[in-house]
Amino acid sequence: MPEKFENKTVFTLLEITQRIHHALAEHFPSVYWVKAEMNKLNHYIHSGHCYPELVEKREGKVVAQIRSNLWKDDYTRINARFLKVLKEPLKDGINILFCAKIAYDPVYGLSLRMVDIDPTYSLGELEREKQESIEKIQQEGLFNRNKSLKLPMLPQRIAVISVETSKGYADFVKVIQDNPWGYRFFIMLFPSLLQGEKVGEAIALQLDRIERVKHHFDMVAIIRGGGGDVGLSGYNHLAFARKVALFPLPVITGIGHATNETVVEMVAFKHCITPTDVADFLIQQFHNFSAPLLDNSRILIELAYRILAFEKRNQLEISLQLDKSTRELQVVARNSLNAQARNMKGYTGFFIRNHRDHLQVKSGQVSKAVMIFFHAFRLKLEQMRKNGSLIIQSTLKKSWIDIESLKRNISLMDPINVLARGYSVTRLNGKIIRSHTYVNPGDSIETITFDGTIKSTVTTHYSEPGT
Amino acid sequence: MSGKMTYTAAFEELQQIVNEIETGEISVDLLSEKVKRAAYLIKLCKEKLTTTEADVTQILKELDSERD
Repeated sequence: MPEKFENKTVFTLLEITQRIHHALAEHFPSVYWVKAEMNKLNHYIHSGHCYPELVEKREGKVVAQIRSNLWKDDYTRINARFLKVLKEPLKDGINILFCAKIAYDPVYGLSLRMVDIDPTYSLGELEREKQESIEKIQQEGLFNRNKSLKLPMLPQRIAVISVETSKGYADFVKVIQDNPWGYRFFIMLFPSLLQGEKVGEAIALQLDRIERVKHHFDMVAIIRGGGGDVGLSGYNHLAFARKVALFPLPVITGIGHATNETVVEMVAFKHCITPTDVADFLIQQFHNFSAPLLDNSRILIELAYRILAFEKRNQLEISLQLDKSTRELQVVARNSLNAQARNMKGYTGFFIRNHRDHLQVKSGQVSKAVMIFFHAFRLKLEQMRKNGSLIIQSTLKKSWIDIESLKRNISLMDPINVLARGYSVTRLNGKIIRSHTYVNPGDSIETITFDGTIKSTVTTHYSEPGT
Repeated sequence: MSGKMTYTAAFEELQQIVNEIETGEISVDLLSEKVKRAAYLIKLCKEKLTTTEADVTQILKELDSERD
């Protein structure tokens, strides 16, 4: 009970706090549903209890603030429901609708003791925030900004924002690097958190780093996988979405979740469900480049052949045409020649006839002249013959005398006449012997005289002429 | 990359040559030259598919130099 001290009623601290406790319990007997922003969750892992810091803000200013308790068992139950409904754990900075008792403890003071938090209210709040981000991005004209960038035909140099040890990153790298077509990619990792409250700031930091060396890259891939659907509300934050929308390189996301598309995914150049989808998309770009190359090689070969065949046929036709034309020309030329030949013959005949007539006239004149000449000549010859025969007769007479004299001389030369003068001829086997060497002793020889023949046998012979 | 054409340019030129040949705008005299050029471009593009020129050391150097 209070004491009296110099007319004053004096309470102990415990007494007064107990009165407060009673008064509060009397005035706030039940539980209340309260909406507030949970500025800090203040979850103590060791004890498992939470001491959330609750605020209400008006135009950015804190107008109410109170501490609260969320005991371990309540926290575990509520957090599980949040994860199920929101795909988010209880965390700092969310708006909540909670059920609480006003609690007063003489040692720890006034606080709200949370017994329940409604996840659907927070879900609605998150959704509202997301819609606000979308509207804001649209108002700023940034919704299609990143999409309007041009992805190179071969997105080959890729800045990857991911966690090195994550399954999603491993999947991505495997599909990209082990592709069976031999396509080469260059991948550089820019490590970052990929979920949770701080995801926006963490990724923005890496985007800043990439921007400094952006000329080395064709695009950015944000790769997350194997993390479940939890903790992605950060991807709806306006600042993060704006950063991605304004990024100077195309940003492709593969953050692997089954829930509604986040704002970052909406404003990204392209949004794939999983990291493997991103890898497949990139490989498809290479296919899209490679296929026309193969097609073109085939088309080129085909066309070149076709053009050559066409030209060959053309040339053949031309040569046939040439052949035909030549033949036709030959016929024309021949006909023309024949006609000319006929003409020539006609002209020639005419010419010859003309000249023959002329010649006949001339030849008549000539033969007449010749006859006259011959007549004169004959007369002249007649005259000469008469004179000539006298000369010939005297000449012949003289010749006859000469011949008679010659005949006499020649008869003196007859061998008979020679033999008659005492000479003889000796023969061996019919051959005249001109030398004693023609015969050998024992040869039978015959000697012819003027009036007969003597046969004798050679006894000896020697050279002593005339003996 | 100096003096070397980009693969995009190569790809586009190739497409153009094929179009020209397809529409018959190329005479037989030019054909062999064009086909030769096209083959070169195809080779260039195919090479690009299987090679990269990125240099990690250079990127890291640039990242470091602009820090603080």
